[in-house]
Parts: sequence; structure tokens; C-alpha cells
Amino acid sequence: MNVIETTKLTKYYGKSRGIIDVDMTVAEGEIYGFIGPNGAGKSTTIRTLLGLIHPTSGSATIFGKDVTASGPEIRQEVGYLPSEVFYYDDMRVIDLLRYSASFYRKDRTAIEARIKSLAELFDLDLKKKIDDLSYGNKKKVGIIQGLAHEPKLIILDEPTGGLDPLIQQQFFHLLKEENAKGATILFSSHILSEVQKLCDRVAIIKDGSIIKVEQIKTLLENSTKRFKLELVETPVASAFAVDGVSDLAITNHSVSFLYRGRVNEITKMLAEQDLVDFLVEEPDLEEIFMHYYKKEDEQ
Amino acid sequence: MNIYLREMKAHRTGLIWWCIGMVGLVASGMAKYDAYQAAGVSVQEMMAGMPKAVLTVFGMTGFDLTKASGFYGVLFLYIGLMAAIHAALLGSHLVSKEERDRTSEFLYAKPVSRNHALTSKLLAGLTMLVIFNLATLLSSFYFVNLFGQGESVGADIRILMMGLFLMQLIFFTIGTAVAGVIRKPKAAPSIAMSIMFTAFLVSYLVNMSENLQFLKYLSPFKYYDAAVLMADGRLDPVYVALSVGIVALAVLGTYRFYSARDLSV
Repeated sequence: MNVIETTKLTKYYGKSRGIIDVDMTVAEGEIYGFIGPNGAGKSTTIRTLLGLIHPTSGSATIFGKDVTASGPEIRQEVGYLPSEVFYYDDMRVIDLLRYSASFYRKDRTAIEARIKSLAELFDLDLKKKIDDLSYGNKKKVGIIQGLAHEPKLIILDEPTGGLDPLIQQQFFHLLKEENAKGATILFSSHILSEVQKLCDRVAIIKDGSIIKVEQIKTLLENSTKRFKLELVETPVASAFAVDGVSDLAITNHSVSFLYRGRVNEITKMLAEQDLVDFLVEEPDLEEIFMHYYKKEDEQ
Repeated sequence: MNIYLREMKAHRTGLIWWCIGMVGLVASGMAKYDAYQAAGVSVQEMMAGMPKAVLTVFGMTGFDLTKASGFYGVLFLYIGLMAAIHAALLGSHLVSKEERDRTSEFLYAKPVSRNHALTSKLLAGLTMLVIFNLATLLSSFYFVNLFGQGESVGADIRILMMGLFLMQLIFFTIGTAVAGVIRKPKAAPSIAMSIMFTAFLVSYLVNMSENLQFLKYLSPFKYYDAAVLMADGRLDPVYVALSVGIVALAVLGTYRFYSARDLSV
């Protein structure tokens, strides 16, 4: 069964583009990545799914029900963490979380117990005023209000901003636990490595349209890395004519290029070079789009 | 019920201050009457010395200022203005605050429909209008009686407070409608206030010129003119019908626009 299904979902803000003809299916029990640069339409899609904004055309269903017609009913089983969190400044953390819990039909004592255990896990003081929290701690409040009622669908819109690496790890661990218990997760991000760690499948969105849906395995096999080399002597361009190399730039003794393919092939080539230093890094999404997906579009 | 309670709690302090303000306004106004009486100043003579036009513009004609009830009638102009400001701000604020504070993305991701949230907010607002009105009513009874030297004022105050409540409802629902329609949450209270002050100025224009009498239908302040209400002893059914019509339309507009539009997040 599909938990989320959108058909030609389109949203315009006046004349400016939000998303165009988005077809997306998220299966039950899946962790579905939703990746694209800022402004590509990730938040627009998510906000439409939540009924915060209404589609211009096309439709979307969650649990088989239309998001516009059955919004409140659907949201009984949805937990949502937005990219930026804002809560009522005059409330204490526990008041906010109880207020949040009061909207759900689930057993109140069970939710309360879960709030306590999650607060302990994330080391969050429930008695503090929202106004006095740091941004990272507000984000923790966001995680708890999104997960306390044990929703069947968890929607996360760039959730990791403001979380330190340790908390991020605990958060990912928690998400995997929820997923193991049966929750479906839609995880939006502009950071590829984040999505790689967590997701089964990933949709890539660009300029309001989904340009590719791939298994994370395929994406990893095709993973592109940026290489930066420092050499003893000025390199010759022909030495780098290996399959999978693109965006080659040589300045004095340094070389920079993108490589996509088997790691063994490139290390063989590297072994022949007289290296002073080298660096391999994750290219940012823009680069992947520029050198991978753009080319595929042209083909 | 949760949203209702949340709003009552969030507005509690503000409401208390407004009520204190109203009690203070009535108390200080009537104390002034008492001071004039004690000093033996004939207010009527003092007023007679003022140009007629000035008195008319300020809506001070038609009152017997030697009596506490007449003095209270003049005071009612300011009570009405304060009540209208409170109601317009309350209405626009209740509806626009989630977007202004950017909590709409929290609230409306919960299993709650916009109509349901609106109903809770409108009911919370209604409760607060009643409390505001009761504070004004009780303090009016108390202070007018205190300085009234045995004059019977109960009927006058009752009718004025009924008029005041209808006026509160009108400006409250205009406030909610503005916030329901407008996508810029910060602009909603100022637009609601502009509408309210325009209506107030229109009531001045009507006072100023006989030729502008037709404008009286545009200003709720003229619907519940203290001099007329106290003379007639009842509300004018035409104005009551008009008030109910405006309120109904504004409430309908609030629901229609607010549930149909995109929230700004």
C-alpha cells in the first residue's frame, strides 16, 4: 500500500512556481528521501500534503484519503517537524507538548510517558520556558511534538539544522527505531550524505519537478566525489583522461575534478601521480546536478 | 476546547488591563462630575459658553449635564471608542497571531481543521467581549450611583451597555474578517483599526452637518448614539438589524476566506 501518493500535484504562488506535476509514491514502511537544492519545491510539496497550502491543480492522498478533504483525519496519524521551528514563547516546554498532545485521540497517559522518555533521551528540560531555549533545544521540542503520538507517517522537512552531531545521531537512531516499528518516513534534505545514511529510496527535485527517483543503492554506486590533488610537478591533462572524470580544472600544481565510478579505477590512476597532498570530498548537490543530472537530461 | 483555553490564557493579562482601564475611565469620568457639583460650577452654564458647533461635533448636545446620567452619556462616547479599539484589536489579533508568530505551521499540522480552530478562537473572543462589557457595566452602575445623588440610572446604563455590546461585536468580527482575508498577518490589526477610526470620523461628520445624515448608516458609532438611546429607552430595530447583518456577513467572510486561503508560514 502507498502511504503518500501525488498525481500531477502543482502549486503556483500567484505567477511564481512552487511545484509542477509532481508524481510521488511513498510505500508503507519506507524511508523516502526527498532531496533538492533550496527553493526546488520540497517545502511546498510538504506543506501541500499537510494542507497548510492548497494545490493549484492535481491531487494528493495520504493513507488513501484526499489531503484537502480529509486533512484533520489524516493528520491524526502524521507527525511533522518543519525546518524552522516556532512555538508559543510564553509557554513552558511541557505546556507546549501537552497542548500538542491534546489534539490527538490517542491515550493521553501513553503520550505523556513518551514525552518524558524522549525528553530524557535528548536531555531537554521540560520546565523551561520556550522563550529561554536555544535554537537547538527548540528543535528538540519539535522532534518530541512530532513523535510523541507515535504517528504512522513522519514528515521531516530539513530537520537536522541546528542539531549538533551527537543529537543528530540519536535522532537518526530514533527514526530508524520508529521505522522498524512500522512508521513510514518522508525525509526532505539538501544534504546528500544525510539522505544516504537513512533512506531506502530518494526523489530528486529540481526547479519544482521531480527529475529522478532512485534506490539509494544505485545512487551510492553512482556516487560522485570531488577530488582535489596537489602535485610535485605541473600535471598533464591527458593523465586524467579516465572514464568518469568530469569538470577537470588544472591550475599550476593543483588539479580538481569530479569522479563517478568504481573507486579502484581512480586509485590506480592516482598511484601513478607524484602527489604532495590530496582531498576527496562529497560534492554538494548543485555540483551533482550540474555534472550528472544535467548531462543525463541532455542525452 | 484546547484552543479556546489556550487563547483565554494567552489573553488573560491583556484583558485584565483593559478591564482595569475601563473601570478607571468610568471612575475618573464620574469623579469629575462629582467635583463640578461640589465646586458649585454649573456645567450647563459652562457648556452654554462654548460654541454650539463644537458641542455638536463632540456629540455633547442632547444631554442634561446637571444630572449624573447626562454626564455619563457624554462619557459613553469615550467608553464606546475604547470598546471598539479593544474589539477590533482582539478580533484581528486572534485570527492573525498564529501566522504572525509563525506558529501556524505547528497548529495546522495538528489534526484540526481551520474552521474548528476559528470557532474556538471566536468563542474565546466572545467570552472576552462579555467580560469587558460586564466590567464596564458593573463599574458604571457603581460609580454613576455613587455620584448620582439618588438619580435612577439603571435603565439608561442597561440600554447603553446593550448598544455597546452590539458595537463590540461589529468591530470584533470586522477584525476577524480582515485577518481572515489578509495574508499579511502584521497588517491585519492596523487595517482593522483604520476601518474602526474611519467609522469614528464618519460619526463626527454626521454630527457636523445635516446634509451628511445619510452617512450615519456607515458608522456603528451612530447606531448606538447615547443621547438617542437614553431618550428613546430602546434600541432602534433598524440599527439592530443592520448590526446583525454586518456581524453575520463578517463571520461568514472570516470562515470562507480563512479556510480557503494558503497560510503564510
